[in-house]
Amino acid sequence: MSRAKLRDLGLDLPLLPTSTVGSFPKPDYLVEARARLGKNAISRAELSDLEKKATEFWVRTQEELGVDVLVDGEQYRGDMVAYFAELMGGFARGGLVRSYGNRYYHKPAIVGEARWPGPMTVEWWRWTQALTDRPVKGMLTGPYTLMDWSFNDHYPDRKAACLALARELRKELEALLEAGAKVVQIDEPALSVRPDELGFAVEAMHGVVDGLRAYYITHACFGAFETIYPGLLDLPVDNLDLAISHSALDLLAMFEKDPFTKDLSLGVLDVHSHVVESPEEVKARIRRGAGVLPRERIWVDPDCGLKTRTVEESRRKLAAMMAAVRELRGAPA
Amino acid sequence: MPLIVTNSGSYPRIGDAPEAQRHRRAYARAERGEISEVEWRAVEDEVTREVVLEQIAAGVEVPTDGQVRWYDPISHLARSLAHVTINGLLRYFDTNFYFRQPVVSGPLARREPILLRDLEVARAAAAPHAVKPVLTGPYSLAQGSVLEGGYRDRAALAHAYAEVLAQEIADLARAGASLIQVDEPFLLQHPEDVDLVRATFRVLAAARGQARLACYTYFGDALPLYQELQTFPVEVLGLDLTYSPKLSRHIAEAGSDKVLGLGLVDGRNTKLETAETVYPVLDRVLPRLGETVYLNPSCGLEFLPRARARAKLETLARLARGYAGPQRSGR
Repeated sequence: MSRAKLRDLGLDLPLLPTSTVGSFPKPDYLVEARARLGKNAISRAELSDLEKKATEFWVRTQEELGVDVLVDGEQYRGDMVAYFAELMGGFARGGLVRSYGNRYYHKPAIVGEARWPGPMTVEWWRWTQALTDRPVKGMLTGPYTLMDWSFNDHYPDRKAACLALARELRKELEALLEAGAKVVQIDEPALSVRPDELGFAVEAMHGVVDGLRAYYITHACFGAFETIYPGLLDLPVDNLDLAISHSALDLLAMFEKDPFTKDLSLGVLDVHSHVVESPEEVKARIRRGAGVLPRERIWVDPDCGLKTRTVEESRRKLAAMMAAVRELRGAPA
Repeated sequence: MPLIVTNSGSYPRIGDAPEAQRHRRAYARAERGEISEVEWRAVEDEVTREVVLEQIAAGVEVPTDGQVRWYDPISHLARSLAHVTINGLLRYFDTNFYFRQPVVSGPLARREPILLRDLEVARAAAAPHAVKPVLTGPYSLAQGSVLEGGYRDRAALAHAYAEVLAQEIADLARAGASLIQVDEPFLLQHPEDVDLVRATFRVLAAARGQARLACYTYFGDALPLYQELQTFPVEVLGLDLTYSPKLSRHIAEAGSDKVLGLGLVDGRNTKLETAETVYPVLDRVLPRLGETVYLNPSCGLEFLPRARARAKLETLARLARGYAGPQRSGR
């Protein structure tokens, strides 16, 4: 079904399409430049030039490795929620909250009506897509995660906040599609935190995507996936990207009981480990997925964004992933 | 009926203003070895006193030490025990807070009192107010740990943690703590383990001496376990009413054999509660409760920015005062 949708969208992807989850590590010069901007030691325009340089580096790297559906690498974003919260109307920066040890962050707070401020990701998508012939994914953070990772001072409850954010994110999606994006990833890593709220999380996703034509992927890491299965299948997206390659979940048993109805992106690289996987390990993980779903419905990617790894680790991990996929594409099913 | 305002546990140790970040700066200097252990402890003591006084100024009658010294709710109690090492970070429930997992490789044993000093520092600042020590319970500690050896399963590990915590409770009770709170947030995720948790509380209760024991649950719906919790060997039950809209109706129907700690103020969100949302719940449940009722945030306040944590406590105190006052009639 989704293969047909991809073809309708003009995307002719090989067996086991490869992609990445969104973020890549920022090169040292960019990390330093971001710190210098905070001290007003460089201009916003100078930083932007360096962000473009880093983005182009990652586009060329993905091309050289042979990745099929590219990302811009989010060199211009810090946190996946704060990026949107800092741009959207209705949000304030919020006070300092501890995340662990002596680490604190400004947790965003919804203090008024959420408001789309005009395109937030479109210029970057357009600029990146112009660098390559391969499709570049549009990358959004979903309404449920935006709500869950923010304080809500304004809306009467979590559902109202989530649905309001969905309404505004839809405008961003419309702008992305108008610019030409055909594959859009809407990340919902918070999706499994409160299983009883899955109903309105699904309703919110309908609010974002219904009637808008694209191939949709939702990345949902942070485990406990079994607590929202099979309800998770109600999400109106084509592909679920689940960080399950390392889990002990018995997928086969779960999928036998409640068949998996979407395409599945298999996270086969552990982004929290310095250890670079071998192509053999990656192949074993892909085969595990192929044991429970037809190969035509499987995509291959790392299990989360690679921003926590070094540039070299990321490149080597992706090279192992691509080597494994190339071998499996040539092998009989 | 006295409505006693109490805190539920943690309190933010820094504020947004630079002058409110002494703890953060000292922590960084301690990590770099630029200040001594003694100097670092002195800062922790000073911040403990500060957060105790801030809770009292906000209107809290029974403050906590704010758990200023705790790295997180799980590793703090485990890290000094025999056969425990500390592992990597893991997400703490559905918060954006992370705890370090204790790894247990052999029989647990306490080497020295863990919380006694914190209680003494807090109590000196709080006088004449009593201070309530707060511990994470044995079951939640076991759930948050990695079991590599020493015990056959997680249930045995929970019992072993109970033996250790019983020593803590005995020390705290002997030192004069009149109410000791034990948190079991993991229980709501695993209601099937309620018999195990109750059994561990028997071990704790046997050590409580003259102190009263409270069991607090949060981060989930306590309704399915309400009757079971009533059979725990404790004097006080703390309930998170923000997760469960039906819980207050159930309390109104079933009453309570225990003193309740009502978690009416959301310790997870910044929005401030009002009389319109809180008083109908009090109207519903108070007629079924005994002479003493605690009002508290739904959980520790470290998930909020400092200024908002204080505002939450001020709100709670104001609502408690207003409820007991003349506005009560006519509602």
